[in-house]
Amino acid sequence: MQTHEHQHDEDHSHPHPHAPSAKDDGPPGYYEIMETAMRELLVERKLIGPGEIRRQIEVLDSRTPALGAKVVARAWVDPDFRARLFANGRKACEEDFGISFYDDTELIALENTEKIHNLVVCTLCSCYPRPVLGLPPDWYKAKPYRARAVKEPRVVLAEFGTIIPDDVEIRVSDSTAVVRFLVVPRRPEGTENFTEEELAALVTRDAMIGVVPVQLPTANIS
Amino acid sequence: MPEPSSATAAKSLHTVKSFGDQPTWKPGDAIRISVRYPIAHYRVPRYIHGKHGTVEMVLDRALVNNEEEGFGRNAGQLGYYYRVAIPLTELWPGYAGSPNDNLRIEVFETWLEKP
Amino acid sequence: MTQTAHLVNRLPNDIGGVDAERIEQTDHVLEPWEKRCHALADVLDYHKIISTEEKRRGVESLGAKMIGELTYYERWIVAFANILFQKGVLTPDDLAKKMEEVAARHSGPIEAHE
Repeated sequence: MQTHEHQHDEDHSHPHPHAPSAKDDGPPGYYEIMETAMRELLVERKLIGPGEIRRQIEVLDSRTPALGAKVVARAWVDPDFRARLFANGRKACEEDFGISFYDDTELIALENTEKIHNLVVCTLCSCYPRPVLGLPPDWYKAKPYRARAVKEPRVVLAEFGTIIPDDVEIRVSDSTAVVRFLVVPRRPEGTENFTEEELAALVTRDAMIGVVPVQLPTANIS
Repeated sequence: MPEPSSATAAKSLHTVKSFGDQPTWKPGDAIRISVRYPIAHYRVPRYIHGKHGTVEMVLDRALVNNEEEGFGRNAGQLGYYYRVAIPLTELWPGYAGSPNDNLRIEVFETWLEKP
Repeated sequence: MTQTAHLVNRLPNDIGGVDAERIEQTDHVLEPWEKRCHALADVLDYHKIISTEEKRRGVESLGAKMIGELTYYERWIVAFANILFQKGVLTPDDLAKKMEEVAARHSGPIEAHE
């Protein structure tokens, strides 16, 4: 029987049924009013600047999985960059791509190989490499993934359609502090003649979280 | 506490180090995660409390304990975070996957003990 | 005693390894206020008015019921309010008055006291 605890843990896989939203052109909901009121008070009291929120939204909008995909593709084709990425992920992203780490986190790049498969989770909250991947998907922040990825990663991966052979070691990285993790997936076979740009186009957000491999477009049909 | 590595010790004059001047643990050290009561604001999840593992790496630069930062204290005693490896078979009795499967997690040094 | 022990010995956000359902690969485009809320979190952290670590603690201290029933950014904005009150940056009265003012612009009282 399910306990009270389980029902009331952070369980937010469902979309947002609560507040009416601005996009419906209705009046703002309770929490939106709270957000607006708090922001205006902080600006009135000169605790934050009037343009800071808008500027930060621009920062957030400029961060998408396409950035991480460029980093991964470069690591596949450029051995020097690859070495620097694995030595210090944040420095390599800053120096070669101008990706700033606005949240002052560090970055460790984790390499998937024939023998090792990496998977990233944050069981306590929703730590995620936002500077290089943007904001995480809802399922990453919801209870089922957070609760289960550290206990039964192979079952979780199978739910994403990813079957990892038993002789491959699974490493689950649980973020708790200042380090964020970017999975560098395996370069698919048959891409020897691809340009760096063509390779980057293959790399998905979920592959950089570690829940799926990178596949050629034709491989998705099956 | 374990001694600093012999290479460090040989080069150093005998000075007393502040906490946070150098890491307490080194890669390969066997460790156990503390068990703490009562429940409080911990950044070490409950499922690893009391579990045995190995230090994989010392994370760069000593930092303030983020459990302290949770209370608005942004200065004070520095310490190191360690990336620790714990087998999933250690965490979950009866784990059904490969015995090589493991967790990697950052743990602040105040949570690490000799096994 | 065991009826409520789980409320005491495990914080509601500390869920690694607990029983949970199948993963639904859901996502949604953030509503404008949610994105502003995220940006607010970053800006509050830049100024160390509320650091990321304080925000984490603020969310976990909402308690199991609020954590279970509020959405992600609803939890954040309520946690920010609590922390700002605790630190004396704003008073509950400041926020209540400003919320009335914001609601009035949209021609209606706040429907929070049902």
